[in-house]
Amino acid sequence: MATIETQSPGYEATTSRRALIGLRCRACGALQPADERYVCGDCFGPIEPAYDLASLEPAVLKWEIENGPRSLWRYAPLLPVAAPASGYEVGWTPLLAAPRLAALFGIERLYLKDDTRNPTLSFKDRPVAIALARALELGLDTIACASTGNLAGAVAAAAARNGLKAFVFVPEDTEPGKIASAAEYGAHVVRVRGTYDQVNRLCGRLADEHGWGFVNFTLRPYYAEGSKTLLFECAEQLGWTLPHHVVVPVGSGALLTRTATAVSQLRATTLVGDEHCHIHAAQPAGCAPVSDAVLADWREVAPVRTPKTIARSLAIGAPSDGDRAVEVVRESRGSAAAVSDEQIADAIRDLATNEGIFVEPAGGVNVATARVLAERGVFHAGETVVLYLTGNGYKQEPRDLDLRPAIAPDADEFREIYAEVLR
Amino acid sequence: MSVIRLPSPLRSSVGGQTTIPIEATDLRSLPAAIAQLYPDLAQRVIKDGAFGKFVSVFVDGEDARFFPPDTDLAAAKVVELLPAVSGG
Repeated sequence: MATIETQSPGYEATTSRRALIGLRCRACGALQPADERYVCGDCFGPIEPAYDLASLEPAVLKWEIENGPRSLWRYAPLLPVAAPASGYEVGWTPLLAAPRLAALFGIERLYLKDDTRNPTLSFKDRPVAIALARALELGLDTIACASTGNLAGAVAAAAARNGLKAFVFVPEDTEPGKIASAAEYGAHVVRVRGTYDQVNRLCGRLADEHGWGFVNFTLRPYYAEGSKTLLFECAEQLGWTLPHHVVVPVGSGALLTRTATAVSQLRATTLVGDEHCHIHAAQPAGCAPVSDAVLADWREVAPVRTPKTIARSLAIGAPSDGDRAVEVVRESRGSAAAVSDEQIADAIRDLATNEGIFVEPAGGVNVATARVLAERGVFHAGETVVLYLTGNGYKQEPRDLDLRPAIAPDADEFREIYAEVLR
Repeated sequence: MSVIRLPSPLRSSVGGQTTIPIEATDLRSLPAAIAQLYPDLAQRVIKDGAFGKFVSVFVDGEDARFFPPDTDLAAAKVVELLPAVSGG
């Protein structure tokens, strides 16, 4: 008999939270109740879910994960909110060996975490899944976000699936494909004349004046936790071992910092051993506040006023997790690169033609960074290198392609026009 | 005289007000002016005489980090404090 998934009109938890003990301030360390607050009540610092990992019996945890749903909710014991019952499956994307790209770049063991296969074609479905679950738990009827594009689609789709209203705020020059997809899901798409950072400031103001759940503002302590699940999945897919290297595209820095959190939690629960995991930052040269800080001897992050890059999803000039991202890279003995638009375009083509995966420029940034790091000799023989591919190329405006003219349905004309290729 | 607009998590430090008046000659002297007039607020957003790294400061809508420290605040301006969060 066929199973019909139904949309939940309200919140209905499918699993219980067991390890969450509250929200801890990263600045002052104060542990606080997991209520509606989104910054530290004492010092205004950022707060993050805290867990009693010692309460999770490792063998039971591992069994539960391995027998859990084929989505990020298999890691529910390590997440701050229980899965809603709406059946909107996100995550558990493939980790693909990439032998042809590896040979091209001179990397021995290269894997691609293909997060272009999420419901709205980017990794943003992950943090939104967690934020959405929290919004349902709080009984909110509207979710919202400031977005460079991908988050807008993820919020719009999740809201539609769960019967919520959505407002998504994007810079006016956001790619039309990303705006269109968010609008098709029924979200109110608000285009703002300004950079992402100006959009973000506007949303900070609106978050105070409307009772909406701004996923990357008022729901941020929960939202950011979704980004841990890429590394959880990579480790499980590698047979519960950590990759020696992870290359992470950096916008706000949350994906990179939560990759380190995931490493720490997997070690603490003994699901993985003590093997080292180097975390590397990838940014476009036209907006590289984190990579530039890493490469300038770990200095403080200096904001970029006007980002100029084809990788618009990484065009965040004032990354909120920027300084922490620099610390994480340093602590993990990682590195960074800032790659040009030309390197990004070449990398998109290298990935597509060698591995059959078409990514947006942010993915190109990551692939190009891996090539740069390989050329610098960062990766050694026998080491496993994982690249996160965070966004699909199909939302992009098509670039100018050097195509031959259309032909008549005639075999001779085909052979004439394509003579050079057929030789 | 300028005004400082506060987000809801900080309003309890100033008796629930959304905006507060501030007399500061320039951006450099703003933290000290806040500390003098609003010590409870200062305790939450100012560290070692400067705004903490988890506070975003905007002057008339622009990130204050893009302005020089001697930027004039004597003329009426709107200073906005927000938690430094983002990610799009």
